[in-house]
Amino acid sequence: MHQRTRRALAALIAAPLLLGTAACTSAGGDASDGDAEQDVTITVMGKPAATNEAAVALFEEQVAAFEKEYPHITIEATDVPWDAKSFATRLAGGSAPTLLRVPLTEPPALIERGQVADIADVARELESFDKLNPRVMTFLERGDAVYGIPEKSYAFGLVYNRQLFEQAGLDPDRPPTTWDEVREYAAQISEKTGKTGFGEITTNNSGGWHLTGYSYTFGGRMIEQDSDGTWKAAFDDEPSREVLELWKAMRWEDDSMGAEVLGKQEDLVAAFSAGNVGMWISAPPDVYPNYINQGGDPDAFGAGPMPQGGGDATLAGATVLMVNATATQAEKDAAVKWIEWRALRPNVDLEAAAQTAEASAADGLPVGVPVLPIFDDATYEAYQEAIAEYVNVPVDAFAPYVASLSEFEYVPEPEVASQEIYAALDPLVQAVLTDPNADIDALLADAGNRVDTILAQHAS
Amino acid sequence: MTTTRERTGGPAIGRATRAREAPVEKKPRRGGQRRRAALAGLAFLLPALLIFGFFAWWPIAQSLVLAFQKTNLIAPAEWVGLRNFEILFSDPLLPRAALNTLWFTVLSLAIGLPVPLLCAVLMSELRRGGTLARVLAYLPVVVPPVVAVLLWKVFFNPGEGGAINALLGLVGLGPFPWLQSPDLAMPSLVVVATWSGAGTAILIYLAALTGVSTELYEAAELDGASVWQRIRSITLPQMRGVILVLLLLQIIGAIQVFTEPYVMTDGGPANATVTVLLMIYRYAFLFGNYGVATALSVLLAIVLVIVSAVYLRLTRSWSTR
Repeated sequence: MHQRTRRALAALIAAPLLLGTAACTSAGGDASDGDAEQDVTITVMGKPAATNEAAVALFEEQVAAFEKEYPHITIEATDVPWDAKSFATRLAGGSAPTLLRVPLTEPPALIERGQVADIADVARELESFDKLNPRVMTFLERGDAVYGIPEKSYAFGLVYNRQLFEQAGLDPDRPPTTWDEVREYAAQISEKTGKTGFGEITTNNSGGWHLTGYSYTFGGRMIEQDSDGTWKAAFDDEPSREVLELWKAMRWEDDSMGAEVLGKQEDLVAAFSAGNVGMWISAPPDVYPNYINQGGDPDAFGAGPMPQGGGDATLAGATVLMVNATATQAEKDAAVKWIEWRALRPNVDLEAAAQTAEASAADGLPVGVPVLPIFDDATYEAYQEAIAEYVNVPVDAFAPYVASLSEFEYVPEPEVASQEIYAALDPLVQAVLTDPNADIDALLADAGNRVDTILAQHAS
Repeated sequence: MTTTRERTGGPAIGRATRAREAPVEKKPRRGGQRRRAALAGLAFLLPALLIFGFFAWWPIAQSLVLAFQKTNLIAPAEWVGLRNFEILFSDPLLPRAALNTLWFTVLSLAIGLPVPLLCAVLMSELRRGGTLARVLAYLPVVVPPVVAVLLWKVFFNPGEGGAINALLGLVGLGPFPWLQSPDLAMPSLVVVATWSGAGTAILIYLAALTGVSTELYEAAELDGASVWQRIRSITLPQMRGVILVLLLLQIIGAIQVFTEPYVMTDGGPANATVTVLLMIYRYAFLFGNYGVATALSVLLAIVLVIVSAVYLRLTRSWSTR
């Protein structure tokens, strides 16, 4: 072989390798910690879906104002929402954004796997940090470390269609408060209107999520901790059995749950917005903006208390903001500044609250949806006063839900392996709703074994 | 079928003979030149080999290692021996998923093998509109899988308004719960998988059919053979090579079924459509347990290799007859 050919060949082989090395070097270079004021670009979750044009416009205004205030920070926002399935893939693949927006079920596993950063040094300096609801913060703190900040919190309640209530001869101002009433109302709605009386979701872990929330209302818990610290399944008992029997009766005796029971939350929001579902369980403040965005009639929307079976409790959760573990110090600083700007400031800075409310109202976005506050009561009251003149949601429609919030105990989702537990419970819920001969005792025992296995693996 | 055997065996024997004869023919001083030429060839191949090795073989080697580790892909991996396999075998869902996958494979062969073959034979008989038929047959392949699967979800709506139920209602059948029923969910998924995969199989069968000599058909017609006899005695034997390869690909594809259960049923109702690949996906991306997911992937790969080897062994005599 000629020397020239050999050189060319060597270059051919070496070039891709060198390029690869160069790529690695530049990636590594970015990871070095630097000056807090250096130019930094962060990717953030939480941009509203493109179909919600008004919300996107407001979001972009907030980004522009933020970038003007902090010229060294550039925000790249994504409207891809958290998803139980794809989220872990993105984290593992390194394509997850700097700022993560996740439900409260996720932090324990994310913290344990080292996938989120400790932001204590920056977060504790925020003025409003001490006013944050300690009940939510328990899930986000480990000793002195702080792994996230809540954006909003929610409690389960009944979402219902006031017009279908009227058509069925029910009083729309008096939503059901017990499960017996729910069953009765659902049958009546189905019979009188031909629509689904009570909608249910069972895939993507939502069946397990709902079984958990419903069991709480009968006084049940999904898992319990032994004195030696080990967790085990605790749902093979009366509360869960009551929920499953209720479902079975509504599905197969009353035929009030419709034929479509193998869906997830988004499917039910769509069916409910189209006026095809009488009642279902969710977080009403979260459902309302999606309901409006999908063309739901504001006057038909109703939010009632979580129906009870004697437990006087409801499942409570939150959406929290966390920073990717791969973020540099500068990125962490920028992410926390953005959290303060977008999520905290509009709640505590009354001027900002009023401005945001005014802009939202002008864009036709819902303003004043009653929520479970992430700050203490005094802060929330001041906030409500500040935005009062821009409120455009039918607050009265939420009144039964809001009134119930102070009556119930808030029970968090399972402390460990919540998503795995929900995934193990989905088939149980599906079995009851798709098989008229489902053996509830056998299903509960089977699911119990499966959850015990999950918990044992989790501990090892 | 002497001709076929000669045709199949011919080139290989020829190559072997030439290879044996080669050293005798060439002069000794040309050996160094040949070696250099071979080295140069190898050197030219090297970048491609490196890239292929890096992107194809390296991940496979990595996954073998990962099956014995506990990792979250961020912190350093930890060796756990056979722990991942222990977790896997203690999972009560595994036998269910394996049986479901087997059931899907059997069903998809029972429906997915004869349907495209029949379509191809019928289409090859068309005097007019053959192109249109081919386009229509291939169209499902062009539709993005997730879109197609979601469309089918609408068709399978369990109410009386669902497209399929409405059609069946015209003849007084149903409504059936389809995806909502533990018994009907899997066959429904097979229908979708067959629909979306049949186009490619039909095109391949059609191509193979053009290779069948028309003289054979003419001779058979002269002998008074019926259509069925012609298909059985000419078409199928002439196409057996293609059929066997497609069958193997179909088996491998069916065992790796994922999109349909993932998008349409999420493994439900009541685990009726949980497949092995869905379990791998859940372990990895839902529970963040990459070690167990990889262990199951390795097991699946081993099963596929065994199935393929057994299949090739069993069909060897038939495919070269």
